[in-house]
Formats: sequence, structure tokens, C-alpha cells
Amino acid sequence: MPVVDVDPDELRQLTGHTEKDDDELKDDLFGLGIEYEGVTEDGEFKLEFEADRLDRLSVEGIARSLRYHYGDTRGVYVPETNSPDWTIRVEDVPEERPYVTGAVVRGVDLDEDALDSLIQLQEKLHATMGRKRAKGAIGIHDLTMLKGETVEQTDGSPGKSITYTGIGPDEDTFVPLDDDAERTPADVLTEHPTGETYADLLDEYDSYPAIYDDIGLFSFPPVINGRRTEVSNASRELFVELTGTDQWTIDRMCAIICYALDARGATVEDVTVEYADEGTELRRPDFEVQRKDVSHDRIETLLGIDLEPEEVVDLAERSGLDAEPEGGEELTYEVEIPPYRVDVLHPVDVVDDVGRAYEFNNLVPRYPDVSTIGGRTDSSRLEAAARQSLVGIGFEDLLNFNMTSEADNFDRMRLPRPGGDDATGLPVGDAVGYQPPATISEPYSEDFTILRTWALPSLVAVLENNTHRTYPQDLAEIGFAAHVDESTNTGVAERRTVAALVARHDASFEDAKARLAALFDEFDVALETPPTTHPSFIDGRTASVVADGDEVGVIGELHPEVIVDHDVEVPVAGFELELDALR
Amino acid sequence: MQLPPQQVAVLEASSADEPRRIADLAAETERPPETVTGAAFELADAGLVDVVEETQEDVELTDEGREYAEDGLPEVRLYEAALELGADDTPVSMGEVIGASGLDGPQVDIALSNYARKGYGDIDGGDLAADSDADPDEDAEAAALESLAAGGSVEDADALDQLERRDLVAVRERTVRSVLLTDAGVTELMAGVEAADEVGQLTPEMLTSGEWRDAAFADYNVEADAGEYQPGKVHVLRQAAERVKEVLIGMGFQEMAGPHVDADFYINDCLFMPQDHPARNHWDRFALSEPEQIDDLPADLVDRVERAHREGVGQDGDGYHSPWDEDFARALALRGHTTSLTARYLSGVAGEDVEPPARYFSVEKAYRNDTLDATHLLEFFQIEGWVMADDLSVRDLMGTFREFYSQFGITDLEFKPTYNPYTEPSFELFGRHPETGELIEIGNSGIFRPEMLEPLGVEADVMAWGLALERLLMLVTGFEDIRDVHGTLCDLEFLRDAEVVY
Repeated sequence: MPVVDVDPDELRQLTGHTEKDDDELKDDLFGLGIEYEGVTEDGEFKLEFEADRLDRLSVEGIARSLRYHYGDTRGVYVPETNSPDWTIRVEDVPEERPYVTGAVVRGVDLDEDALDSLIQLQEKLHATMGRKRAKGAIGIHDLTMLKGETVEQTDGSPGKSITYTGIGPDEDTFVPLDDDAERTPADVLTEHPTGETYADLLDEYDSYPAIYDDIGLFSFPPVINGRRTEVSNASRELFVELTGTDQWTIDRMCAIICYALDARGATVEDVTVEYADEGTELRRPDFEVQRKDVSHDRIETLLGIDLEPEEVVDLAERSGLDAEPEGGEELTYEVEIPPYRVDVLHPVDVVDDVGRAYEFNNLVPRYPDVSTIGGRTDSSRLEAAARQSLVGIGFEDLLNFNMTSEADNFDRMRLPRPGGDDATGLPVGDAVGYQPPATISEPYSEDFTILRTWALPSLVAVLENNTHRTYPQDLAEIGFAAHVDESTNTGVAERRTVAALVARHDASFEDAKARLAALFDEFDVALETPPTTHPSFIDGRTASVVADGDEVGVIGELHPEVIVDHDVEVPVAGFELELDALR
Repeated sequence: MQLPPQQVAVLEASSADEPRRIADLAAETERPPETVTGAAFELADAGLVDVVEETQEDVELTDEGREYAEDGLPEVRLYEAALELGADDTPVSMGEVIGASGLDGPQVDIALSNYARKGYGDIDGGDLAADSDADPDEDAEAAALESLAAGGSVEDADALDQLERRDLVAVRERTVRSVLLTDAGVTELMAGVEAADEVGQLTPEMLTSGEWRDAAFADYNVEADAGEYQPGKVHVLRQAAERVKEVLIGMGFQEMAGPHVDADFYINDCLFMPQDHPARNHWDRFALSEPEQIDDLPADLVDRVERAHREGVGQDGDGYHSPWDEDFARALALRGHTTSLTARYLSGVAGEDVEPPARYFSVEKAYRNDTLDATHLLEFFQIEGWVMADDLSVRDLMGTFREFYSQFGITDLEFKPTYNPYTEPSFELFGRHPETGELIEIGNSGIFRPEMLEPLGVEADVMAWGLALERLLMLVTGFEDIRDVHGTLCDLEFLRDAEVVY
């Protein structure tokens, strides 16, 4: 969840509630679902909140939410904008990043705090909605440092323009932020720290995004701005531009920035976005309110309470929305949603806002009056019954990880790796466990690279880690095993497997077989144990487990090499078979 | 007086002047020491003897200690190697000395950390100097070690402490008991004691012959510890899972089953998780390389899900402004939550279509590459549950939880509104720990969004929740470290001692 650093004094100032002490403020924030996570070195609150409310990524946005919460502000607010003077021309842009939006903001008073807040908001928007700048990137420039090309606007009045275009990696140069040297975009990606960070974004680009004014190249989105237009405390007029892969996304990001600056008393001025190639024109920033029809009945059924229409309107307004009851057969509201709200996709999101304003914790729980019949799956009942039998026979039931490594699953059990070089030359055939494993791509730990193909190795590993504990150690596990099998829906055959072993100073084949026979008896399954071989067990002391005529597993005395490799000093006998054999 | 034979033997072998050790008495009476101990305590209870207890310390070399006794202490070996190389004259590089000393592995660290402490010289900037005045023969620790190895004892308490701290010796305390006749004992002995004819073990022969009728049964010390017995036992986490299943079945829930390896389509796309959501490429996800993709997805379902992502659902719905690619949805991974099962059941691919009203659950594993700690493992059991019915409300959700958690003694619940891509409204659930009083997050819940339900063909409302079984178990039983319980690093003793969950 996103975390923003917010100066509590500034928050008090912006909400107009300077009388609130820190604790009251924290309580009020919690009421909005914003959690106080501690304090920064500079005494700012670290505030964590849900990832849908990106309009709260700055102190201005949080103050706005608080004012609604306090009831100081009601309903939708849309800033007035002045008519455009500037145009962003779009031509020959990289096809991977075709969209641009922007705004001019005048009368900005950027003291230290306001500038920090703006920079933080920009970074947080990049990290969230902007998907680390891939989907949307923001550039903010000092307007007075831009020299627009003079153009005639659609209404005939004179205007100025900048151009968003694409250039060759080494086609032009500029001085990037935090730098002194003229560099080409390609140089920035290899020589400038910020360039190195974002170089991956442009991997697939043939031409690089570039923004020009009459003087020349001044911004290289989504990587870095030029130094010429750097914003400082002295900046009073700003040019905000955003480029990205989706018009809606950058428009919303732009609206959030403009609302934050508006909250500090600045004036927003429209810009014209001219897509020259398509011959279309947009007027930005996009402050259009969204409208959704929300049914009164849906609000009542979802919250489980009865509400008067006036209450619904009141609760909506206290959430920063406007709701207008509409007649007709069924009572509905036309709800208006301000442009900074990126999270409202469906009327149900409005219901949630209404519920939050009502305060969910005021709702009285009730048990739903719905009758259904409970039960468990066949295999789950079988598994529970088999586990009870194993425990009755005297096994300690264990629970191991389904993820393991090739080393533990194969090598240390003397099993060759399926499909690998069968260096051991052992006859394996269709030995239990010898199946191609489902494999994790880019594993994070060498201990967890595959799903286990059988469970006995896990039990042997438990022995290995418990040599200091009292013997006998008679261990069993009914659990998951899987292998690659193209004939299944997912390409992986998953099954329940029964593994058990007896570890004690005199453990023998007979100990294992006596227990296996007891288990089979309990489930009335006929057991035969014809001799077989398996690399994990001693030849001549290994048998197939045959249940009602079908081969379902293996039983034997564990090979001394396996025992010794696991630092165990007592003999071990065990078996593994498919749980379904007990059906 | 008449006494059991073993007591008579012990009484007769004891002295009033000098305490006699149990071991000596056992040798003299030719009875096992535990019998003699038992008899001595019986006699003490009767006031005929006193049992005197004394604590003795046995010092034993550990494996490491034995090794050093043979090869010499690592720091001494280092010093001797240093002298060979003339480090008493000019400092020699550490690597060279270590090489010459033949030390390796952890012994190197041990040698270095004791070297300066014991005045063998200095280590400065990677060079090692040897103090020519030091004398390994004067090394108290070495001397103590040698003496112990030869079966002797050690008087130097400091040296012994030091060896114990270094894990080179183990000091064990042992209670030695001695028996001394009391005045009453002497009196009784003078008056004469004889052995009663007592039976130890009842035998089949005695039962069939009727001999048991004339036998006197020797008293056992019925309060004495018996031998250890290791029962078979269901794993404590499985017990907890069974308990949860039982509660849910009692509440009318049917169990779900389905694949651990599943397509992202069911894990994420069906849940209205945008494909560019950070969690979908997150490092905590376990993607598969073999196999890599699911082959068969129902085409019409894919179409509906894609449309919901792109356009939203309903007249006033909006989609995500995010890319959507079927190939991306086909990628296989270990499920990060068992909500993938819910998606399969709701869509009908798991079997028959589910009709309302319905309740379903699963208590099964999910996989997440979390940082391993006392409460997080890569695999955990998720309790997943959902209810499908017409017109379900937030109040129904709250009421269902209240019932469920009250079964585990958790009655103080709080609902914190939260955000979740596939539910709205959504709540984090907090429960107050019955003992510590702390408010702990115990689950996540909500009412499924129309953008999730409509493509799956569900017309009723569905409310759902998920929580980690481990968390519930910890809350209920006070477990502190999940690593003792789950996985091959588990501690058998911990599992054997774990209290039964019911």
C-alpha cells in the first residue's frame, strides 16, 4: 500500500483546522482508512492508505478528503480553468508512447514545503498509476523558461506551442537535470544515473520521445527533463506535461496534479493537445465529471439498511460526490464523480463511498437467512480417514512443503533426474518419484525449485533435521505430489500421496510391511508385494506395492547411501503409495 | 517386623555411621540401582533410614573438545605456525599463517578470536604478530583440556568456565544419593526384620494355578515416572484445519478442490485483477517454466473476462485502462491464493454450475514468496469461503464472520474498510486476541465486484473471505513460530509436545 510523508502542520493549515492536535488528526485520518505508520526524521507523518485512492497521494489530497470528512466541504468541486494560450503539437511520436496531455498553472507559490509536496506527488504517481513511468510520466517545467513557437489557435487568437515528437537516439542534445554536460538521449541512458534507472523502458523504442520548444529539445520523457526548465522555489508559472501509453491514465494523473496545485491557490489554464497525424484536438486538463446511475435499492440491499433519499444525497456529498435523485419507476440517483477519482469504475464503488460515509462499523451484523447443506469432498474424507488410520498404527503425522529442490527430491535419494543424464546407470523405469517435475521459473532459492514428485524425501529430510530427538521416529505424511503430464488441463498431474517410514535401531522391511498391511486391512484392500528395484532402496529388500492388482507404490529398506547422506545413524524402512489406492 | 525383601536387603546393608551410596548398596545387594533407590525411599518414608542427596558435577569433553585435545587448540596451532614463520620477529600476513597452521573452516575464526585474547600476539591490518613471551605450555585452557582428555579433573575454575563457554566441555549435574540408618532403623534391625514373601509380577501361570490367592503383591511406587511412550499423532496444523472444516461444514459450507498449479487466468484475470497490476509481475509470485502455459481455456469465458477488463460491466461500468493479453492469462503459476478455486467453481469449469443459495469453502495451500519469518512461510493454508445468494449485504458478511470466529473464542471483531481489486465493499478483519487483548488482522473479505461475477455467469451476490489458517492457529493456541511446525525443518519434539486442538 502506498505511503506518503505529510507535514501535520501543513495538513492543519490546508484543512483549516489548526486547533487539532496530532492525536486528533491521527484519529480523523484513521476514520478515512489512512493509517499513521510513524514519523519521519523531519517530523512528518508517514501515512499509509489503500492503493485505489491515488487522489490522496499528497498533503493537498488528504486535506481535501479530511474536509469532506469533517463536513466542511460537500459535493463535487471542479476548478475553474482559463482558456488556452499554449498548444502541445504531437507529430511523429514513438508508436510505443503516443499520448500526451498537460496543463499550464499560473500564480503558484512554491515555498519549500509546497515544492517538496509536489515532487513527492509526482514520484508517487509515477510509482502507482504510472507503473514506474511505463504507463505515464510527468514532467513539470518552469513556464517562463519556455519559448513557444507562435501559432494561430483554432479560434483565431495568437498562441504558443511546444512539440512532442520522436527523435533518433543521438539526433539531438540537451543538458539534463542534475548535470552540466550536453548529452544526447542515448548518452543519458548510459551516463546519467536517472537515465540508467529508466533505460529499460526504452528497450523496444526505435525513436525516443522528445519535447521541443522554439529554442530546442528541453525534455526527454519518460526519463528526464532538461535543466533549462527546472522548477525552483522561485517558479511562479508551470507547464505540466504527461506522456504515456494510455490517454485516460495520463489525463487522470494530470487532474490529480492540477487539483493539488489548485488547493494551494494556483490557477489552472487549459492547453490544446493537437494530434497532428490524426487531425484531432483535445482541450486539457480533462476535468469532466463522470456520471453513474446508482439505484436506491442497490444501496439498501448492499448495505442491508433502509435509507431516505435525503440521507443518500447527504452521504454522497460528504464523500465529495453529488447525487441527484431521479424519478421513474425505480428510484435512482445520477451521481457525479470528480475527475481526480480514478477508482470509481462501477455504481458499486459509489455504494462503497456511501457506506464509508455512513461508517460501516455502525452496521449491525446479522446471520444471512439462507439455508445450505455442508459437506466435504470424497478425497478430503478419504485423506482424513487414512490419516487417522496411520496415526492409529502409530505414525506421527507430518506436514512438509510441496516445494522442494531437484537435489532433495532426486539426487539425495539416489534417483536420477528425469530427462537428465542418467549418469548413475541405475535401472529406474517407472519408479515412484521418477517423473518430470513441475519447475519454477527463476526460483528465488535453490531449496525451492520444483514441486515434489513424491513425499518420502521430505520425511527423510525431517529425520535428517531431528537426529537429536528421541527414537523411534515413525513418520508419515499424506500430502501433495505432482509431475508434468500433458494430458491434464494445466499440464500438471496433481495427486495425494501416502508416505511413511520407520526409523529405529532395528527397523526392517518387515516393520514397514506390517504397518502397510495394517493400513490396507483397514481399507479392505488386497495387498501384494512382488519384488522390484528402486534406487532409493536396498536391492532384494524392495517391493512394489500392489493394491487389488494395480501397482500403486513402493516399499523397502532405505539404501544406506541415502541414510548416511542424511546423517541418520539408524536403519530406515518405508513406503509410498497413491492415496487413491485405498478407495 | 516384616518388610519386602529388597527393603530388608537395603536396611541390612546400610550403616548408621557412614552414608552409603546407592551404587555401592546396589552392588552389595545385587539388585538394580533403581530398585535400591525405590526401597531406600520406602524405608525413608517409614523413618528407618535417611536419604542424603548431593549434587556432583561431571565434566565431559564435547566432540570439538576431544578434537582440540588431540590436535591442540586452534589459537595454539596458529601461534605455533606463526612462530615457525618468524612472526615473533616481523608480522606475517594472516593468510600465510593460517595456511601454514593447517586450520580451516570455522576453526580459523575460533583461532583468530582467541589469539589476541590470550596474549599470543596481535592482529593488525591483516598481519599477524606473535608475542615471543607467550608460552603455549602455560596455556591454562590447553592444560585443562589435556587433563580432562586423560580422564583427570580440573581445579582451575576460570579455565573450566572458559572451556564451557567455548563449548569444548559439557558440565552435567548429577544427584548422588546416600543412605544412612536412623536410630529407629537401628532399633528395628536389632529387634529383627524378615523378608515378606511378596510377588512382583502377576503371571499367567499364577492366574491359572490359583497361586495368586496366597500371594502378597509388592507395593509399587505408583507415583514414580513411567517410561516414555510416543503416540501416533495428527499434525497440529492438520488438526486445526480439520477443526475449521468441521465448523464450516456445520455452517452449511461445501468443500472445493482444485489445482495448485493454475493459469493466471483463474488466479488473477477472473478476479478482475488488471494485467499491469504490480502484484502480477511481483517477485512474490511463483511462475512455472515447465509447464509454462495452460492449453485449454474456455473461449467464451475468456471473451467475457477480457471484455470486463476492457470495458467494465453494466450500463455505467468502466474497464481498466490497461492492456489485456490472452497469452499473459495462460501463464501457469503456483496459486497465490485459493480464490482461484472460487473462480473455477463460480465459472462452472470445476463441474456443474453453482446455483444460489450456496456456500463453499476450502482449507488448502497457497504459495507466496514472502520473507521467511516466524509468521510467514512460502506455503501457507488459506481458509477460503464464500456465500452466494440474492441480495447479500455487508451486514450478512459481518454476521457470517461473527458466527465463524465465535467458534474459536474470538468474539471482538472489527471491520476496517479496505481496497481489493475484486471486492467492493472490502474489509480487513481484525480480532482481539483473547489473552493479550491485541487487535490482530485475521482476514480479508468483501462482496465480489460485478466485473468479476458477470463474466463468470453469476447473477446472484457473492460475498467471500480469505485468511491464513496459521494465523488463526496462532491466535487460538498461542504458537509463536510457524517454522517449528511446518516443513522439513520442523522440530519433532515440538510437534510431539503440541497440545491437541479441538
